[in-house]
Amino acid sequence: MADSVTLESRAGTTAAASAIPFLEVRDLQKRFGGVQALKGVSFTIERGKTYHLMGENGCGKSTLIKIISGAQPADGGELVINGKSVDGLDPIGALAAGIETVYQDLSLLPNLSVEENVALTRQLVAANGSLARPLDRKALRQTAAKALSAVGLPTDPYFLSTPVEQLPIATRQLIAIARAIASDAGLVIMDEPTTALTRREVDNLIRVVRGMQQNGVSVLFVTHKLDECKAIGGTAIIMRDGQKITECDVAEQSKTQLGFWMTGRELDDKRYRSAPHSGERLLSVQSLGARSFDDVSFDVARGEVFGVTGLLDSGRNELALALAGISPARRGNVSLSGSVADLSSPAKAIDAGIGYVPEDRLSEGLFLEKSIRENVIMAVLDRLRGAFGLLDGRRARALAQKTIDDLQVATPDIDNPVTSLSGGNAQRVLIGRWLTIEPKLLILHGPTVGVDVGSKDTIFRIIQRLAGEGMSVIIISDDLPELLQNCDRIMVMRKGRIADTFDAAGLEEDALYRSMTAEDNSGER
Amino acid sequence: MTDITSDIAASRAHAESAFNRVTRWFVRHPPAVTAILIALVCVVVGSINPDFWQISNLFDMARSTVVRGLFALGVLVVLAAGGLDVSFTAIAAFVMYVITMLVTNCFPEMPILPILLVAAIGGAFLGAANGVLVSTLKAPSLIVTIGTQYVIRGFLLTFIGTALFMNIPMSMDAFGKLALFHHQSANGATSTMPVYVLVLVVAVIVTWLLLNRTLMGRAIYAVGGNAGIAERLGYSLRKVHIFVFAYAGLLAGIAGIMHVASNRLANPFDLAGSELEIIAAVVLGGARITGGSGSVLGTMLGVVLITLVNNVLILVGIPSTSQLAILGLFIVGAGALFSIKPRA
Repeated sequence: MADSVTLESRAGTTAAASAIPFLEVRDLQKRFGGVQALKGVSFTIERGKTYHLMGENGCGKSTLIKIISGAQPADGGELVINGKSVDGLDPIGALAAGIETVYQDLSLLPNLSVEENVALTRQLVAANGSLARPLDRKALRQTAAKALSAVGLPTDPYFLSTPVEQLPIATRQLIAIARAIASDAGLVIMDEPTTALTRREVDNLIRVVRGMQQNGVSVLFVTHKLDECKAIGGTAIIMRDGQKITECDVAEQSKTQLGFWMTGRELDDKRYRSAPHSGERLLSVQSLGARSFDDVSFDVARGEVFGVTGLLDSGRNELALALAGISPARRGNVSLSGSVADLSSPAKAIDAGIGYVPEDRLSEGLFLEKSIRENVIMAVLDRLRGAFGLLDGRRARALAQKTIDDLQVATPDIDNPVTSLSGGNAQRVLIGRWLTIEPKLLILHGPTVGVDVGSKDTIFRIIQRLAGEGMSVIIISDDLPELLQNCDRIMVMRKGRIADTFDAAGLEEDALYRSMTAEDNSGER
Repeated sequence: MTDITSDIAASRAHAESAFNRVTRWFVRHPPAVTAILIALVCVVVGSINPDFWQISNLFDMARSTVVRGLFALGVLVVLAAGGLDVSFTAIAAFVMYVITMLVTNCFPEMPILPILLVAAIGGAFLGAANGVLVSTLKAPSLIVTIGTQYVIRGFLLTFIGTALFMNIPMSMDAFGKLALFHHQSANGATSTMPVYVLVLVVAVIVTWLLLNRTLMGRAIYAVGGNAGIAERLGYSLRKVHIFVFAYAGLLAGIAGIMHVASNRLANPFDLAGSELEIIAAVVLGGARITGGSGSVLGTMLGVVLITLVNNVLILVGIPSTSQLAILGLFIVGAGALFSIKPRA
């Protein structure tokens, strides 16, 4: 289906100009205050090739992307696009030059329709940013339909005119990609495109990328997920501390080697749990049901790490929300330590001893502008009441400091805002908040989404330490290696029901994946 | 790749309850709710007091939608871009008073068209100042326009004048009386549909074309949906901000002249305090107060609804104090209704 996108003009020029690379980055430098974010980075993007820009958070890769897409100016060095040096690139200029970016947040306009999101940019670029132009509705619809069909989305008028905010995340992802290819892109940059996707959708994405390559479009992935890089293939550009460490064929290198280049230290991907866990039962879920899952029963023992996975529509997210009291279950019950727990609101779930670390920490979890201290103590304000019912500042500070030290959050001052932290550290602040309620059960929803390899390792160690201290942990995730590394048992959900429950010892990723994607006998819904 | 397509088709068809379908339709067509409310008010009022259906009454209402409608279109455009403007009444008062004064004292023979043109340009300039402030200070537009509203009004009353103009310029007076058509009712009374309602009709058409048929229109909704993302995609926030406030100012300037022409006097204290009513009309028409949505049709229905409540409840013997309460209930009800989201 991808072949239906025939970027004629591009195919024509590619043959003639194939000798000239699409983009050359030469000695790029950028400084923020006292920090040198980029210390002279150079690389070349050839036409129709795939690249992976890899590195830990803070290594300068986001800055690099912002400069290439015209969002920020560089302090030194130059960008050569199609053999011509460009100066003072702005977003419109970058788009006009054929550089399209699919941002991590997708950068879709929620209130605009699918067709407008996909195809408006093209008219805006053609008008060179001027807004005093008529809107060509017909061209809009045609451009959108062509690009959407190339990524396998419907092109009927109802879908085209649906506001993007009414669509599921996987569809939005494809819409963002459709926008990138709707305007004759030469280079599509994808900033962590797979964080919100499950494997089936990732496979779909990879197919779309292959189709783009055949049309001479280069693709630059920015990602943390080594497995996916290896599955996609191409050249890895590895950065650390604002410098390019090396370039290599990603398929030929081991994950350990890539991880070493990125972090400068050895990382292990050993499994923490080798023997099945046997402990006294803490949590017992009996025939729990709600709108999008039903008949879910399982037990979790004290000190056990229990994984839950499934595709996006499997009901795993809704199960997590039900256990956290955010959208309560309608049927069945949940007992903790033998007595039935009231989980009808988040406050009651907290009282029952359940801590929930949400998936999207930016929008659901953290108060970004508030200090680290305030974020940590947020859930236990009641318990920190001092004289006259006012907050006991000294105790609050002591608790926050202790939690932050415990979790090794790298910050000079707990009064700094959370925005000053990297993704991994912010995630630890959020986990820290839930540790302050001293939960019996900690539910981690996508604990390492958007977190780099080094921080991932630290978070895993924290999970194992907590479990070792007798806390039960439920990890809800679609990152299968992460589940295999951390869990005693893994439950797979499919279409709202439990599909399988596996002992993690000796389990292979493929078995999990097969269980997630197996077709049940009920056929099409 | 077809599996995604069929998935979406399947999930769309998948056992959607009739109730969900209806809510979904209403959420995609918010003005329908406004239309239903209007019909409801008309039927109730009309059945209690048949005088409601008299042509003269309908003409009265059409007349009183003109100034409100012009204001509301300006509010809509600013709101769609994610801003809020409360200075438009001050701009209208300023423009109408200054122009009436100038024309009366210096150019008493000036015809209506150049007067409207000068009012539009003057209003647009004052509005553009709002836009420049909002975009340069990166301050919330509500705060900025509260400020400019006081500055403009204070300036008008301190330096220009507080006296009423009872004798407005001839051309404005004539324009206010010029009839589009007359209607003779059974009891012999004549009612008049004035030509100046056409000003609103033109403004409606221009605003609709602007929002739906130009890149600027789409940019306005883009910025209202998410300014940060819109900027990253290459839309110029500055252009959009200055444009929407200038456009609201332009409409306010014209509305000021319409106000003088229809009332046959220019009072610098007029129009103050009706800002929230206009914003409520736009929100009743289905625009979200947080920006990025709203339509010309919905806005006009909102204006009609507000005008109805203001003008006709008196016909069924509801005292003006309770009219206010009823209007309030409508606004709260509409706010609650429009915040319902369909289940995905």
